[in-house]
Amino acid sequence: MIKVENLKKRFGKTVALDNVSFEAMKGEIFGLLGPNGAGKTTMIKLLCGLLKADSGTITLDGRTNPRLVEVRMSLGMVPQALAIYEELSARENLQFFGRMYGLKGQYLKKRVKNCLELAGLSERSQERAGNYSGGMKRRLNMVCSFLHEPPILLLDEPTVGVDPQSRNLIFETIENMKIQGRIIIYTTHYMEEAQRLCDRVAILDHGKTLDIDSVENLITKHGGPSHIEAEFEDKIIDPDKIRLFIENDNIIFEETKIRFQTDQPMESLAKLNRSGLHFRSLKVQTANLEDVFLNITGRRLRD
Amino acid sequence: MKKVLFLAVKEMRVLLSNKGNVFFVFGFPVIFALFFGTIFSSSGEGPTGMKIAVVDEDNSDFSASYISRLQSNEALNIITPDRDRAIEQVRKGNISAAVIIKKGFGDGFDAMFNSEESKLEIAADPSRRMEGGYLQGILAKAQFEALSDKFTDKNWMRRQIQLWRDDVEDANGLDVKQSNLFLDLFNSLDNLVADSNSEIYEAGFDGEILNFSQINVNREYEGPVTSFQITFPQAMLWGIFSCAATFAISIVKERSGGTFQRLLVGPVGRAHILAGKGTACFATCIVIICILYISARLIFKMPIGNQLLFVLASLCTILCFVGLMMFICTLGRTEESAGSAGWAMLMIMAMLGGGMVPLAFMPVWMRPFSHISPVKWGIYALEGAIWRNLSFVEMTKPLVILLAIGATAFMFGISMLRRQDK
Repeated sequence: MIKVENLKKRFGKTVALDNVSFEAMKGEIFGLLGPNGAGKTTMIKLLCGLLKADSGTITLDGRTNPRLVEVRMSLGMVPQALAIYEELSARENLQFFGRMYGLKGQYLKKRVKNCLELAGLSERSQERAGNYSGGMKRRLNMVCSFLHEPPILLLDEPTVGVDPQSRNLIFETIENMKIQGRIIIYTTHYMEEAQRLCDRVAILDHGKTLDIDSVENLITKHGGPSHIEAEFEDKIIDPDKIRLFIENDNIIFEETKIRFQTDQPMESLAKLNRSGLHFRSLKVQTANLEDVFLNITGRRLRD
Repeated sequence: MKKVLFLAVKEMRVLLSNKGNVFFVFGFPVIFALFFGTIFSSSGEGPTGMKIAVVDEDNSDFSASYISRLQSNEALNIITPDRDRAIEQVRKGNISAAVIIKKGFGDGFDAMFNSEESKLEIAADPSRRMEGGYLQGILAKAQFEALSDKFTDKNWMRRQIQLWRDDVEDANGLDVKQSNLFLDLFNSLDNLVADSNSEIYEAGFDGEILNFSQINVNREYEGPVTSFQITFPQAMLWGIFSCAATFAISIVKERSGGTFQRLLVGPVGRAHILAGKGTACFATCIVIICILYISARLIFKMPIGNQLLFVLASLCTILCFVGLMMFICTLGRTEESAGSAGWAMLMIMAMLGGGMVPLAFMPVWMRPFSHISPVKWGIYALEGAIWRNLSFVEMTKPLVILLAIGATAFMFGISMLRRQDK
């Protein structure tokens, strides 16, 4: 388990992290969601011991010092920057990093082979990494951290600048790691990624944790109502007939359309269906993490 | 230790994978040594083919003889335009200097040694002062040689003696006793010239007017001194230079990329990573020295005075620059800034230390600064082993200075790196 308690970190006058606390369990993907400068990378660097906290504690599987060799051996970090040697091939990169973690002989060979397969790079393993596409480099960057099969994975925005195909492969790999029971800390400023991957998410802004919960609960708590737009076959002649079914004062009527917001979209749709009106089209836009962030901070994630 | 070796091997692989790096680290020093060694293969003879203009406004036999003396000198390449054209050519930098032989130059001793009105004028390019100084020496030598030709002309000599006698007789300030003394001397000289055998007299002086012999300053060493012995130490320094700069930039690249962080997160300390870099830099420098040594010995048959001292000098110079590498990598946070700052620093060291311009060409006030340049001590140590034949005790000073500079730069670099990573 990872336990972070009251963590504070300053860089000069800038507060990077202010009293951050959370816990992440085995088999869980824990997301750190926030805009650039929220403190996500600082959090990752503190977790893996690259930075020292001003105050607060980090406990990784019961040990409080991330600089201990045995703790570092239990960590795999995927940095935001491409941490591979572009002059070497994928195989040479993996062999080198494997040796740094003390892997050798047949086990090293096996792990290199597995990681190449995982990254979909087996066929081009002898080619210089510098010649790979952005997505291939990102995949190699990721599997270099899996070589020593660490129980804790820290992924710092691993999909930046990646094509959709590579992104899906990266997601599948991370989901497999979760199934294997690893603890995964995943930072991102893409709410779609957090929504798809993370079991729980901490929303960070200006170094502070705004809330921590499952994606569903966060949306329920902070996402606001869903937006429904229904278009009927015929012109709406009697709006009161619709109001009988939808108890909402803010329904907007247009010739053949109605628009309204509701906290129970499914219930409202069922009622509309019972009205006997024939739908031409139906649009339901439920709240997402972007709305959660907007409602909590008053800003969009990418502002 | 194993991890340091793995890191060093990786560094070498990364270095060898880049053709540009391979050329600048391994090829450039060899080309440097060959190129400058060939250029300076006649070093010690001064500049050759210095282009100058000579303007003859005297048009006398003596000025013609003087010009012919200058033309026979291999160090000069002479053109003979008019005065304005000659000065214009100097201004434009097309020629090193213009020598103007003024009217009356061939009028005898009075004209030649009159300090109030010189009969020779030199317009030299201010940016080529060394050549200007060298030219003055050649002009003086030619003047003496032309004069020696005149001495062999009996009639010219007797006319000169008559002119001196007339001067003494007309001089009002001299008392009679002194006047008679000079007149007796000139009479005797005139008799000597008149009575001497014409054949023997016209044979003139034996040998050159200004002739220098050289004392060999090489202690004990008796083998031939080739220009490659001068250029190879410089080439070795340039090779070590390139290597230190390349590895310094590679540290910055790792830090600005993410590999440094990835390694630090793993079970490898900062000391391991830097030791790996240092080991790779050291090993690469050894390879460079070996390539240069082998090509110097096998191809150019270059003698090396003391093999053991050469090894010591090489090792200390390499260690010094490995230390400097650690300092250079802290000069910038990006490859570009560290590369530019590193090369600028190395260039200044090379300039101060005589790696680019001989120390003799520097202003006197600047020469003491050369003591702070490891390039000076590196070249001095390598030369000491190759041809200066310094003793072990004499070598101690440059070797200790090199190690001290390296150790200081290393410690300073490590502490800067720690501070920057906090």
